[in-house]
Amino acid sequence: MEMTQTKSPILTIHNLVIKFTLRGRVLTAIRNISLDLYKGESLAIVGESGSGKSVLMKSIMGLLDKNGYIDQGQIIYNHHNIAQFKTEREWLSIRGKEIAMVTQDPMTSLNPLKTIGKQIEECVNLHQRLKGKAAYEETLKLLKDVGIHDVEKRYKQYPHEFSGGMRQRIVIAIALACKPQILICDEPTTALDVTIQAQILQLLKNLQQKYGLTTVYITHDLGVVAKVADRIAVMYAGDVIEVGKTHEIFFNGKHPYTWALISSLPQLGSKGEQLFSIKGTPPNLFQEIKGDAFAPRNQYALKIDFVERPPFFKVSDTHYARTWLLDPLAPKVEPPEALQAFFAEGRRFAHES
Amino acid sequence: MLGYIGKRLLQSVLTLFIIITIVFSLLRLMPEEGYLGAAADKMSPAQQEIYLTNLGLRDPLLVQLGNFYANLFQGDLGKSVTYRTDVPVVTIIADKILYSLLFGLGAVALSLLLGVPLGILMAQMKGRWLDRLGTGYIVIVVAVPAAVYYLVIQMYITEIFHLPMLFDEYRPVTWILPLISMALAPTASYAMWMRRYMVDELNKDYIKLARAKGVKERTLMFKHVLRNAFIPMAQYLPATILYTIIGSIYIESLYSIPGMGGLLVDAIQRQDNAIVQGLVLIFSSLGIIGLILGDIAMAMVDPRIKLGKGESVR
Repeated sequence: MEMTQTKSPILTIHNLVIKFTLRGRVLTAIRNISLDLYKGESLAIVGESGSGKSVLMKSIMGLLDKNGYIDQGQIIYNHHNIAQFKTEREWLSIRGKEIAMVTQDPMTSLNPLKTIGKQIEECVNLHQRLKGKAAYEETLKLLKDVGIHDVEKRYKQYPHEFSGGMRQRIVIAIALACKPQILICDEPTTALDVTIQAQILQLLKNLQQKYGLTTVYITHDLGVVAKVADRIAVMYAGDVIEVGKTHEIFFNGKHPYTWALISSLPQLGSKGEQLFSIKGTPPNLFQEIKGDAFAPRNQYALKIDFVERPPFFKVSDTHYARTWLLDPLAPKVEPPEALQAFFAEGRRFAHES
Repeated sequence: MLGYIGKRLLQSVLTLFIIITIVFSLLRLMPEEGYLGAAADKMSPAQQEIYLTNLGLRDPLLVQLGNFYANLFQGDLGKSVTYRTDVPVVTIIADKILYSLLFGLGAVALSLLLGVPLGILMAQMKGRWLDRLGTGYIVIVVAVPAAVYYLVIQMYITEIFHLPMLFDEYRPVTWILPLISMALAPTASYAMWMRRYMVDELNKDYIKLARAKGVKERTLMFKHVLRNAFIPMAQYLPATILYTIIGSIYIESLYSIPGMGGLLVDAIQRQDNAIVQGLVLIFSSLGIIGLILGDIAMAMVDPRIKLGKGESVR
């Protein structure tokens, strides 16, 4: 099977700006993002609530709320600029067919009045053009693939007869039934308890291999990211501020926001001290943001951070960060000490393995 | 399923017995003239006493109750004393029940045909002009007392369109206004509930997932939203249907329709206890039947209700 790092983009986002109108005011949710998604890879989009990660993924599926619109930019999939899609018919050629989604809360994501079999089969009918017995067989196969036993009996059961973890498996089966190229997992484990989380992540990883999927994880849980992602894009206030391979972000992050984010991991706290938290609040998206959006909360901010938006500085072929600190003229700034130790340890570990 | 229905039926029969007993007791508290009827003035106290004794009203209460039930099971609800002297109550009601049923069912059919689609459209166009118009209609019908707009319709609409003001069963035009008047309120409530449940469903996560899996908006509406929105309606519908049939009291008196509602008003005014008793019995049975039908309908459409055990798990 073709593996992760082949460098052909399956989806390209170019200078994307997404705005929402809210009671007559305009909010900019995505501020000029460019991002490539490579075939077969697993990309994690990380950021706090309101950073625009969900909006970004919804725009790819044409599922933005009614008051949201793509203001500028392109989303290229399969030589089509899907950012210009208007009609439902155009979107239905992408939605489900090419890009499928695993939603956040399995407890509410299934129709309570339909058997889970029928809900999966609906997708099989729609996207694999199978009918009757063939569709039924395919549904059973999908159920087995997501690790459900006793499939003939389970097929006829309703969502309330399943546990949370099982329901998430069914949601995954529904996504797989679409035979998609890209699978978007929107906080796939947030609603599950920790032991189940690990199982679901492992399942998603296995299925990615088996079905040759390109997966995108939207999450604020760095622990999830570390387990599944090949690459990470860190978002802040509607912008991608750093992107790189997982180990590059984790052990050689360059943007102060990335530092802050990693420092907030509870595992990095030392005993008896308060856990690290990022001071201040994210910027108001109704206002125009000048310079680096993180600057007001950034203790390392330079004067220019308040004036001009930093470009992407190249750290390696795969690692880019939007911070003036990487400019050759910038003063030398080191990440906080605790983080340096973590970085060093991580890099040593990465070398050994 | 059968076990569940059986259990619900049994509960309902019990409820019915309680209602009958209460009605029976209440009527025993009423002044006794009610049993004497128009003849009261012409009888001496001694004659009255004999008359009442013959009716069984001097027996101990428990014996009376026993007799009442015994007669009830033979289909005997007693005789009218004032309304139509010495005619069995059953016969009187039988003459009237058809009109009430026709108007009731007609009004229900009309309000379902208008109200449910209106609610669906309002949900789909939430916040747009149709939704606002519908909401306006609902607010008016709910806020203005029914008696007021019934009267307005009867007085002014008849004048504008030169329609007769009273019901005449041989003239089809006279059926129209009472039907419309009766349908106004249930139309509003069906529209309101349908809209509400549809909007509820549309905001649920499973709709988002269904959209994300590439289901067409139309299919989504009819295969997912509509059915799920109908579940709370399913429980509520049969009861409202029966309430509509029963609730025609005003309309029947206004338009002189010879139905049960008008009869009840008359019977109360003339203190004809036997008729009141019989009608209350019929009305409450209809109400209870409505509730059972609602529960059964719920159980049939909602898989989350566990059948047989008679427990509902949501």
